[in-house]
Amino acid sequence: MKILIFFILLFQILHVNADEIYNLIKIPNVEIYKLKNNNNIRYLNAKGNFKIGVKMNIACDKVNIENLNSKFSVIEKNFNLYNSGFLKKIKLKYIVFCENLSISGINTGGIPNNKNRTLILDINFNQEYFERMIHHEIFHMIQSSHSDVFDENKFSTFNETSFNYAKCSTCSDRLNLDLYKNTNGFLTEYSKSTPSEDMAEIFSFLMTDKKIIKEKIKNDKILSNKVNYIRFSLAKIDKNIL
Amino acid sequence: MIKSIKASKSEKILFIFLISLTIFIFTSFFLLKNKCLFVEKNNLDKLKLKISNNIAVMNLECGNVIIELYPDISPKAVERFKILIEKKMYDGSAFYKVSENTFVQAGDIEYGNIDNLDYSKIGSGKSGLGLLKSELSNDFIFAAGSVGFARTTEFDTEDSEFFITLKEIPIYQGEYTPLGKVIRGLDILTKIKTGNKAIYVLRPDHINTFRMLNSN
Repeated sequence: MKILIFFILLFQILHVNADEIYNLIKIPNVEIYKLKNNNNIRYLNAKGNFKIGVKMNIACDKVNIENLNSKFSVIEKNFNLYNSGFLKKIKLKYIVFCENLSISGINTGGIPNNKNRTLILDINFNQEYFERMIHHEIFHMIQSSHSDVFDENKFSTFNETSFNYAKCSTCSDRLNLDLYKNTNGFLTEYSKSTPSEDMAEIFSFLMTDKKIIKEKIKNDKILSNKVNYIRFSLAKIDKNIL
Repeated sequence: MIKSIKASKSEKILFIFLISLTIFIFTSFFLLKNKCLFVEKNNLDKLKLKISNNIAVMNLECGNVIIELYPDISPKAVERFKILIEKKMYDGSAFYKVSENTFVQAGDIEYGNIDNLDYSKIGSGKSGLGLLKSELSNDFIFAAGSVGFARTTEFDTEDSEFFITLKEIPIYQGEYTPLGKVIRGLDILTKIKTGNKAIYVLRPDHINTFRMLNSN
């Protein structure tokens, strides 16, 4: 009897909208926004607030459809830079739009999840960096699906020996996303947080503004080595992506 | 000498009211509570189904659900499904995951049998026959009554669990291995107990028997 009461309580705690989309990507309160796309990506939007994660530490609010409609063409334009074959290789199929995305109370632009082939995006993320943020998060999906290709230790050796990254991206105060005038091996302050963020920042500029990268590496040997490493490593996955 | 007493008008009305109330209570408790009352049972003797190697009959509380299997689309998956049916491994299997008017899921051989339900492990059980590679079809539309092999979040993890859609679910296209389609008895599946929006169903309904038609 005690066990039965325990399960009844447990089932009530686990009370979520166990619908067909939850069954697939394990995110509740989500509906289809746009299903048919040339690169097979599927766009979903939060129809209600949701909390996910083992400790329910990832939270996001329902999307305002008019807000999403106004931003969707920019979002779609950026995702259309990737073909279906590449997206399959990096295990990305579902883009979930929501607002005020946070992890453990810290606001963030996107949360990638290769296991569920999902990228959650906050459509209210700073519009100045929004497009770059999309590619930044996609890089994290590339890296986690091809960790053997992107060697963080090797990448770190391109820096001056006196430089040290922080232990994690959230335990650093190096958060500014503005492009440095004098790069000295790093495109932004956020690049200095971890090797993974450094790589993701380079990739995001390569996808959104190749000219800037071309200009910056002319007089920055460290950055040039890093960019070459990213290009070389990406070519192992897909020769045509850059 | 006992005189017969005629009932007054108000007594007659009271009597009729009591009779009506009794009928109402009886109907509520014994007839309307019977969820299978207005459901077609699909009696096999009356259906005169054409004998085929790809027709399976799932017997539930409310009647028979007739499923046509599609070996041309998913040969390995259908072969596995038939083996599990022929070994009677689905008998007693609980519909532990049910989303109202959306889908029903059963087939956990290890932890999902009604005689041996393990609520803490249900959904993770194995058949003992090994995992299968996903056989995905970009053309198969998961319309109402579609039967698909369930899997974990990873592909190539199909084993024995299956689901049946109760409405069209476009997002499942290319995501799950199709097994077949319900050709009779979809309304029976809508009567299966739901979890009232919870992930799992407590004290779930179950499959009585699951047989290939040619073995009946």
